Amino acid sequence: MTHPVITFCGDDALRFVVTDQETRLARARQLLATGDWREVVPGRKDITVQFNPHEHTPATAMAHLSHNLATPAPHLSGTAETLELPVHFGGAGGPDLKDIAARIGLSEANIITRLLAAPLMVEMLGFTPGFAYMSGLPETFEISRLAQPRQQVPAGSIGLITGQCGLYALAGPGGWPIIGRASLSLFDAASPTPFRLQAGTRVQLVEATPP
Amino acid sequence: MSLTILQPGVQMTLQGAPRVGHRHLGVPASGPADHLSMALANRLVGNASTATAIEVTFGGAAISFDKSVSFAITGAQSDLILAGRPVASHMTHFAQAGDTLRIEPARKGCRVYIAIAAALEAADFLGSTSTYLPAALGGRAGRALKPDDTVGFGGGRNVSGLATPRDLQPVCSNSYTLRAVEGPDYPAGAQGLWDSSFNVTQRASRMGIELEGDFPRSAECASRPSSAIFPGALQLPPGGRGFLLLADAQTTGGYPHILQVVRADRHLLGQVRPGDRIRFLHRTRQQATDALRAKQALLSSWLPDFFL
Repeated sequence: MTHPVITFCGDDALRFVVTDQETRLARARQLLATGDWREVVPGRKDITVQFNPHEHTPATAMAHLSHNLATPAPHLSGTAETLELPVHFGGAGGPDLKDIAARIGLSEANIITRLLAAPLMVEMLGFTPGFAYMSGLPETFEISRLAQPRQQVPAGSIGLITGQCGLYALAGPGGWPIIGRASLSLFDAASPTPFRLQAGTRVQLVEATPP
Repeated sequence: MSLTILQPGVQMTLQGAPRVGHRHLGVPASGPADHLSMALANRLVGNASTATAIEVTFGGAAISFDKSVSFAITGAQSDLILAGRPVASHMTHFAQAGDTLRIEPARKGCRVYIAIAAALEAADFLGSTSTYLPAALGGRAGRALKPDDTVGFGGGRNVSGLATPRDLQPVCSNSYTLRAVEGPDYPAGAQGLWDSSFNVTQRASRMGIELEGDFPRSAECASRPSSAIFPGALQLPPGGRGFLLLADAQTTGGYPHILQVVRADRHLLGQVRPGDRIRFLHRTRQQATDALRAKQALLSSWLPDFFL
């Protein structure tokens, strides 16, 4: 097995490319579990680790990561959790669904049907706390970010941009067009694992029953 | 036992330890923008370096104490007035019950730190009390402190007076020279980056500082798939202005990451204010490590539990 090329990312972080999503997730979990790194952050195509420069010089950190990567990442068990996520589509919770439908030339109902059939998977959490980038959308959805980001997007909001579905675990500013809102809380501040979605979680959207 | 916020200034938040080890969940570090100054304030009142303290942006604030307690102030240069009398920064002081502490607008530097010889009450999230405003986490209900807020504290103490050794008092300026290494997206032929000085625009917050000046405009500078990003990174968005990331910076980003301010100098970023000038000094990674260890050695006898 060939090892990925490791490059520096500033004075206290290292990066290597792992394009395959499952391998990337498995690697990130393996590196987190070692406890050797201050941070292990998967990106969309790579993994970055931050080291403690009070313990490591750049050279020893590089050697240590090479050593970590010499062990193959354990395969993720095939029984990845699938979370059924009830969603209210459109209306006040999905203010951009109408616009998106007009732009890509499908009916709102048709978009919803395709979303319910999409095998979504959380690629990574990032940007803001618990924001989940999910892959698995039909490629035909070409959707750009809002020209003017919203100051406040409610928690549970689901957004779409080309090729990706994004889920806001917490309220906050956001630039993704919003098509619906999950009726399940994705965040518990008091829990040691406060975010319901993790990288690797499979997500099945279902239509929420109207209140 | 509590203190009352009379005037919060531009922004007053509770900050404690950074949240380390949660960036893969999208959770930024937070914590004091200038963690060295906060550690120095805590030291003067006998607290741990990362004990919860108050961060005040630009000064211009006032608080009152309902019970006597020791306190200390560090960070941006401001005149300090306790019960009508001037007091000095970098020294332990004792407030009597009913005293008002005024912090005048900062003349130089950006953030003032108030440490109290007590445990300030703040919400814990993932093991840290630090406030992260964009997602309303930690601190006081995740928000900035406002007039009439009371912040409770337990076990208020009167500690014996200390002063920060003079050679350890950080100097605030209007012009900073920051040591930096090349970032992963350092553009070819960007020599000019090291010869220019950059102006800090009005767009400055705990997330980052915008810089204008002679940045490279190369075809390399296109967005790329989101990757991890950390405080100290200098990003170059398509608009042509640099964005230097601070404690509340997002965890991932797609803009080119052209420089990284070295860990040894990142505490200075918390004192940079709009209108200041910044230059970058080109360092190798090994030099960055050496600089960190040298500064750490200088601080360790006074701040044994603090790490840059």
